[in-house]
Amino acid sequence: MSTNRQYELVYVLTPESTDEQIAELHTQIEQIVQRFNGTFDKTENWGRRKLAYEIGHHREGNYVVETITGSGELMKEIDRRLRVTDTIIRHLTVRVDDELRVAERLRSERKATQARRRTARGLPPEPLPSERRGDRDDMDSDDMGLEGVEGMR
Amino acid sequence: MSGERGGGRGRNKKDDKDKKGGDRPRGGFFRRRRVCKFCAEKIDYINYKDVRLLSPFIPERGKIQPRRISGTCAKHQRALQTAISRARQLALIPYVTD
Repeated sequence: MSTNRQYELVYVLTPESTDEQIAELHTQIEQIVQRFNGTFDKTENWGRRKLAYEIGHHREGNYVVETITGSGELMKEIDRRLRVTDTIIRHLTVRVDDELRVAERLRSERKATQARRRTARGLPPEPLPSERRGDRDDMDSDDMGLEGVEGMR
Repeated sequence: MSGERGGGRGRNKKDDKDKKGGDRPRGGFFRRRRVCKFCAEKIDYINYKDVRLLSPFIPERGKIQPRRISGTCAKHQRALQTAISRARQLALIPYVTD
């Protein structure tokens, strides 16, 4: 029932928070993830960064980005925990699996189209590094003429 | 100060007629790009954490640049909108700047 989804969690700690506090919070989240049978994919610490606007008299914040795979209940619990933690000034959870899947599909589709068009023109499916980059899909009719000449040589 | 910027933008809008075709960027002109940046550079996923990617679409004031000026296609403008609002929540990008 509980489906596995990939989430991205970004939270901002107060600029006063120490490295230990950040590590502690991280282990706390890890424990919650384990409890809900989720998996911890990646963590990224941006360190201290200037805020674009003031949040509760803070001008800077410590940013941490975590990628977590798990269920919605897991994220709900993490969200609840982060809400009550005083050192957190802002957090955001985004479900990313769908978005990344769409991006991946677009990329592979484009690659397939490129390979198809190139083989139709009698070129190797992968563009050579010597070839000019930046040809756009909607300009293909124009490029055809140019690249055809290149292929002839 | 902001008034004179606005004026500049208005002037650009005037010669923003033909959408397709003239996509050869002639020099580094000020906001004359009519081709969607994300289509041209084949960016599939507009990442909200990438401030450098988003910042060209946020003028001085902090508002989202309209499509008619930036030339972004409808699909990517929608994605951009989501990315910007997420980045705003995280204080990576301002909501407003005076």
